[in-house]
Amino acid sequence: MSVAAGGGESKIDKTKLTMYGVGGGILGMYLAHVLNMLTGTGYFSFLAGLGAIAAVVMGADAVRRVCAYGIGTGVPSIGMMAMGMGLVAAMFGLAIAGVAGPIIGVAIAMGFGYLMGILANKVIKMNIPVMEEVLMSLGAAGAIVILSLSVVISGEINYLDMLNDVVFTGYIAIVFIAGALAILQPFNANLGPDETQDRTLVLAISTGALGMFAAGIGSLITVGVGGGVLTMLIAAAIWLKAFLWFFKLVKRDSAGVVGTGLLPEGGL
Amino acid sequence: MSTFDATTLVYVFQIIIGGLLVGVGVHFVPVGGAPAAMAQATGVGTGTVQLATGSGLTGLISAGLMMSVAPDNMLLIVMSGAVGAMIMINVTMLVGNWSYVYAVGVPPVSGKVDYDPITKDPQPPYIAPGTVGHGVPTVSYVSGTIGGLMGGAGGSLIYYALMNINGISGLSAFFAIGIFVVNAVIASYNIQGTIEGFHDPKFKRLPKAIQSCFVATLIIGIFAVLIHGGV
Amino acid sequence: MDMVSMGLLAAMGALATIAGTSEDLESDVGSQSNPNSQVQLAAQVGHTHRIYNKAISGEPPSNALYAALAAVTASVLMSDVYGMNAFFSIAVGALVAAVFNGILSMTSYMGRNASQARFDQYIYLDVLRSHTTTIMAHAYITAFCVVAISYIMTAPWLPIQHPFPLPVIAFIWGLALGAIGSSTGDVHYGAERQFQQYPFGAGLNAANSGDIVTKGEAGLRSSIDNAWFCAKFGGPVTGLAFGLIVFLDNWRTTVFDPATQGWYAVLIGILIVILLNIGNRLLEIRAKKMYGPYPEYAGEIKA
Repeated sequence: MSVAAGGGESKIDKTKLTMYGVGGGILGMYLAHVLNMLTGTGYFSFLAGLGAIAAVVMGADAVRRVCAYGIGTGVPSIGMMAMGMGLVAAMFGLAIAGVAGPIIGVAIAMGFGYLMGILANKVIKMNIPVMEEVLMSLGAAGAIVILSLSVVISGEINYLDMLNDVVFTGYIAIVFIAGALAILQPFNANLGPDETQDRTLVLAISTGALGMFAAGIGSLITVGVGGGVLTMLIAAAIWLKAFLWFFKLVKRDSAGVVGTGLLPEGGL
Repeated sequence: MSTFDATTLVYVFQIIIGGLLVGVGVHFVPVGGAPAAMAQATGVGTGTVQLATGSGLTGLISAGLMMSVAPDNMLLIVMSGAVGAMIMINVTMLVGNWSYVYAVGVPPVSGKVDYDPITKDPQPPYIAPGTVGHGVPTVSYVSGTIGGLMGGAGGSLIYYALMNINGISGLSAFFAIGIFVVNAVIASYNIQGTIEGFHDPKFKRLPKAIQSCFVATLIIGIFAVLIHGGV
Repeated sequence: MDMVSMGLLAAMGALATIAGTSEDLESDVGSQSNPNSQVQLAAQVGHTHRIYNKAISGEPPSNALYAALAAVTASVLMSDVYGMNAFFSIAVGALVAAVFNGILSMTSYMGRNASQARFDQYIYLDVLRSHTTTIMAHAYITAFCVVAISYIMTAPWLPIQHPFPLPVIAFIWGLALGAIGSSTGDVHYGAERQFQQYPFGAGLNAANSGDIVTKGEAGLRSSIDNAWFCAKFGGPVTGLAFGLIVFLDNWRTTVFDPATQGWYAVLIGILIVILLNIGNRLLEIRAKKMYGPYPEYAGEIKA
């Protein structure tokens, strides 16, 4: 539980991020599905993981926008709520609509988010102007992350396969919580008065890659060793790149990155 | 899609009751947020959602075990969940109090009332200067027990209803967790993250949470019951 | 009830106690959870420090992640495809969880301190190197124990047959453990260790917020010293709390067969709850008698 402190200004527009997040997330899932079906292998599952990263970046930016207001309960709970809504919506979409499921699921998740935003603002009177819009983005991000990471594990968009590969095995737990942490960690880890948007979003890429890696571990059984290892390798490469980038931005933003030493002038 | 008939309606109804129990239960759980961890405010030193979810899900483990051996006995399943959650929250509050009493050296005391409504003990003389209470006094402890009861029962009831629809324990458990978290977060927004228990003035905001949780659970519940077990 | 179940139950209680202790110490080394707010505040009120500052999205979700990740890895390795021994699978799973923990901790430390540039809060790479491994080691123990408990509850060849899959149980226990850790042991760190320069026997006066101890016996305070301090009380009681919960919760269904004596299990649970309520009341009376009212108090109401 940390005291919310506003961040810096946003250089990247939220509409653009939402577009890339939703578009990239859904595209990744379907590409993985189609290519896996066409080739009859599981090697393309990693594409869904890339989609998950896009959605994580969008979700992290939404968390960033809402936490500039004091929401009273810290950063984690709003993300847990998003994942809760996203899970039900995603599974509903898959269960009733098959291959078209993800799109329906994401739409329903956005509806849930909007409804929660209205309840928070109109009934509970939290009066946070961005609440509806942020919860919509977060619901969508939650649903996409859950769906994408599930596709990484199951290899294709098919409700029965998902039940077998993701639910019966219990991997749904890691899909749920790795997705939640991926969305929450970026802003939570950068919280402070000198927070910058690009640093937060770069960290989002890195945590998204961690989520993809975690799902990759699960896919070692369901998709097969080849596909699973490929997903994990690509995730590790993305993580490394994003982590080094993040470290560069940390050096740019911080007062000083020192090997060791005492406190700066005035600190002692 | 599974067919939507009278039985389904009963399940939706059960899910709504479960969601409401969770939403109301959160109002009973005494949490002081970050200040409480510094013995600066009464209550358990963590977030509402965190503690309520932790206890509710511990209840879910008990309820899940019970449901696997006695799938038809709804009352027993719900009570198992409630007792599991109560044990979790009670042990947590008691050990939290050990920390306050023995590690920090402060007696448990409420900052919102002059006299404890249950024990009639005077409170203000025991409040450390510069704080608004600390620890979990009797009234908050009892309130927390009720909160655990409601949260555990609510989560288990949602689980029970969903299990009857899709029959997959992993899926039902996670849907129950999802619906639980949504209601807990809404309720915790309603109390702005901290509350001392049923004697806290913030408790009067309860009707708003009931309205919100009802609408939220109704909508999510309707979608959740339409998800079949893949048969 | 048979001897094997009783022994397993005892093992679960013991594992839970260890898990709780290491979980609390892990969060103390990293200043996670609620006491983190004071570390965060310290630089703002002019006390720059060399204390680890990791905030990983709340203790319950982060511990749920480590437990679930370790469980997923373990269940992959244990499956028929790879056929690894359960013990080693859980060990490898916990290792993966510890690595994730290390990554998240490092990024938190760097990110949070970089966001406090205007207060001259430096990022010390030696702190990062020495503390992250300590944190990971504690996280490893926690993840290992939680997954071991979950394994005992689900393994097909053991008496307890819980219907949830292994990762889901580990997820729930991880979440509960995080909630317990942030509710109990963290108080010792937040209210006592961080503010040791103020007299014992009072909560943090709001006027002193952020004035945490930044100097040690010699030189500057390091967060590893905080683990040393909290290992004397905060850690063990957290372990006791989680151990009690896992033990009491499963004891009821071990002694009474849930299929035939379910109501006994519920009733004995209610009895435990009543006893805990009485225990808390006794503690409250004892504490008030032991410490008495505050001498600064000048109000109307008599103690």
